[in-house]
Amino acid sequence: MKILIANRGEIAVRVIRACREMGIPTVAVYSDCDRDARHVREAGQALHLGPSAAARSYLRIDGIIDAARRSGADAIHPGYGFLAENPLFARACRDAGLTFIGPSPDAISLMGSKTAARAAAIRAGVRVVPGTERPLDVRVFDEEVAAIAETIGYPIVVKAVAGGGGKGMRTVDEPSELPAAIRTARSEAGAAFGDTSIYLERRLARPRHIEIQLLGDGFGTVLPFVGRECSTQRRHQKVVEESPSLVVTPELRRQMADAAASVARAVGYTSAGTIEFLVDEDGSFYFLEMNTRLQVEHPVTEMVTGVDLVQWQIRIARGERIDIDPARALTPHGHAIECRIYAEDPDQGFMPSPGLVSAIRPAAGPGIRDDGGVSAGYTVPVHYDSLIAKLVAWAGSREEAIARMARALGEYQLLGIRTTIPFFLWLMEQPEYREGRYDTTYLDRLLQSRRGESFSRLAAGDQDLVTMAVGIDAFMKAHGRSQSGTDAAPVTHWLQAARREGLR
Amino acid sequence: MTVEIEIEGRTRAVSVERIDADHFRVVLDGEAHLVNAARVEAFGLSLLFEREGASSSEIQIAPGGAPGELLAVIEGRTVAVSVNGRRSRRGSLDGASQGAGERPVLAPMPGRVVRVLVGPGDEVAVRQPLVVVEAMKMENELRSPKAGIVKEVTVSAGMSVDAGRVLVTIA
Repeated sequence: MKILIANRGEIAVRVIRACREMGIPTVAVYSDCDRDARHVREAGQALHLGPSAAARSYLRIDGIIDAARRSGADAIHPGYGFLAENPLFARACRDAGLTFIGPSPDAISLMGSKTAARAAAIRAGVRVVPGTERPLDVRVFDEEVAAIAETIGYPIVVKAVAGGGGKGMRTVDEPSELPAAIRTARSEAGAAFGDTSIYLERRLARPRHIEIQLLGDGFGTVLPFVGRECSTQRRHQKVVEESPSLVVTPELRRQMADAAASVARAVGYTSAGTIEFLVDEDGSFYFLEMNTRLQVEHPVTEMVTGVDLVQWQIRIARGERIDIDPARALTPHGHAIECRIYAEDPDQGFMPSPGLVSAIRPAAGPGIRDDGGVSAGYTVPVHYDSLIAKLVAWAGSREEAIARMARALGEYQLLGIRTTIPFFLWLMEQPEYREGRYDTTYLDRLLQSRRGESFSRLAAGDQDLVTMAVGIDAFMKAHGRSQSGTDAAPVTHWLQAARREGLR
Repeated sequence: MTVEIEIEGRTRAVSVERIDADHFRVVLDGEAHLVNAARVEAFGLSLLFEREGASSSEIQIAPGGAPGELLAVIEGRTVAVSVNGRRSRRGSLDGASQGAGERPVLAPMPGRVVRVLVGPGDEVAVRQPLVVVEAMKMENELRSPKAGIVKEVTVSAGMSVDAGRVLVTIA
C-alpha cells in the first residue's frame, strides 16, 4: 500500500505520522504557497497540484487522482475538509482503482444531506431534535416556512440541508425574525455548498454538544467510543474539546453509544465517523448529524482510549477486522483536552492573522501532544482555514488536565503572528469552564461580557520585564553582540577544551 | 542608551548600559536593575536578575506583520511593541478613533475584497462597516474608525489586497 494524502496542514502531518509508524510509503500534494510546508517535507514523495486557491489545487478531483497515478499511490486519505465528504471524490477514487480511506460514496451522500440523515436516525429508532423532515428548497414560500415553524414552536434554528461548520445556520427567537433568517441562511448555504435548501429545528434551551466517535469495518462490526464534549464553541465553531464529558454517566454513555452504533449500522457505515448529539439538561439526547470523516478533535479520544484512529482507518481500508475490546473503547482512561490554536487575533475579534511564523517551539513534556502543521520560516497562507496546531493535554483527572493545558499554553512559543493561545490561557481560568458549567452558547455570552478587553493584558511586573527586554534587544541590535575587549562570539569552555585537544 | 518603548498604550523610557559581555544596567521608572541577558534561540532573551533573588524570565521578540511592529511573547501572552516612535499599525489604528482629520482604513491582513459597502461622499458613523475582506475562509467586516465622510474608495469587489493597503479614506 502507498497512501496519497489529499490534504495539507496539521491533518496531513498527522496522517503521515500514522503511515510512517505502519511502514507505509506516503505521497503529499501541495499548492503554490505550500511548497515549503511541513507535510511536503515529511512525506516520502510530494507532487505539485496547482495554484494556491483551493479550487485550483486541493479541491481538484482530477488533479489528485492524476497525482496518485503519477506517484504510484494505490490509496487516498482525504483528511477532513476539502474533499473528505465529497461523494463524487470517493466515487472517482473507486472508479480509478484507488482505495478511498473512508466510508462508501453512498454513506457519504446519505449522511451529507442533513434531512436524509435525520430520516435515517429516525428509522434506526434514535430521537432527533424536533423539526422538518424534508428539505425546504427555494420553491417553498416564506409564508409556508413560517407555518411549519409555528407547528415546531419557537425558538427555532434555520439550517442548511447541505450544511456544516455553522454556515447557513441562524437562530430565530420570534416569527418577525424568520424572513431575514431564511434569506441569509439560503444565501450563505448557496455560496458555501451550492444548495440553498434549508430545514428547521427546534432550539433546545441549554443543550450540550456531545459526540460519539465510531469505527466500522467491512464485516459489519461497528465500535462506538466514549463521547467527546464539544460544547465550548465560538459562533457554532468548536474551539476546545475534551473527553470524557462531565455530565455523561456510565448509563447515559452506554445509551448514546448504542444509539450511535445503530444509526451507523443502519447506513452500513465503514471507517471512522462521528455521530453528533445535543444533550438536554435532563439528559435526553437527540441526533444532530453525522460526520463521515476523521474529525479535527479525534486526538482526545485517542488519548483516553489508547486507540490510534488514523491507523485503524488505514487497517479497515486494507480489509482488516476490528479487534479492539469494546469495553476499552467505552472506558475513558484519565481525561484529555484539546485547544485548537488558530492563526487569529483574539484581541481583534478573532480576525485572521496569516503571515510569517518566525519561530516556533511547541509545548512538550508529560501528557502533552502537539499536532502541528507549521514550522519556522513558513508563511501561514490566506487561502485556507486558520487552524495551525492542536494542543492536547492528558492527565489522570480533569482538574490536572486543565492545569497541564495551562502550563503547556504558557510554554508554547509561536512568533511572528497572532494566535488564539492567549484566549485559551484566559479560558482555562474561567469558573464556567473549570466547573464544566456550560452549554453550546456559554462561550459567546462570556466573550460578549468582556467587551473587547485584551486577552494578552500583562501583569505590571511582566510589562516591566518585556520593556526591559525590548530595551536590551534594541541595545544589542544597535551595538552588535559585544563591545571591544570581549570575543566577538562567546567561546564556551567545551569549545576551548576542544581547541586545546586539536592543538595537541 | 535610552530607548522609548510603546507597550499596551503607554510610552515608557528605559536606559540601557552595558557593563560586561553578559551584564547590563537597566533603569526603568527611576529604578536601576542589574540584568544578566543572554540571547536564546533566534529571537529570545533570557534575563537573570542576579541582585533580585536571581529571578529568571524569558521573553521572545520577533518582527510582527506590520512594518516597525515587534511582537513580544512572555508566558504565552503576546503584546505588540514598538521602539523609538516607530509606531505600529495597530497603534495608529487604536489612536484613530480619537483624532480628527483624514483617516485611512487599512487591510489588517492580506485577503480578497468581497464587498464594498460605501461610496465616495457617503456619510458614515463610527464603527459602521465599510468593506468586507475575506481571508482564511472567513469574512471580516472592516469598520470606520470615526464618524465622517467617505473621501475615497481605493478598492473594488474581487480585488486581492496586501496587509497595510489603504482601502477607504474617511475625512
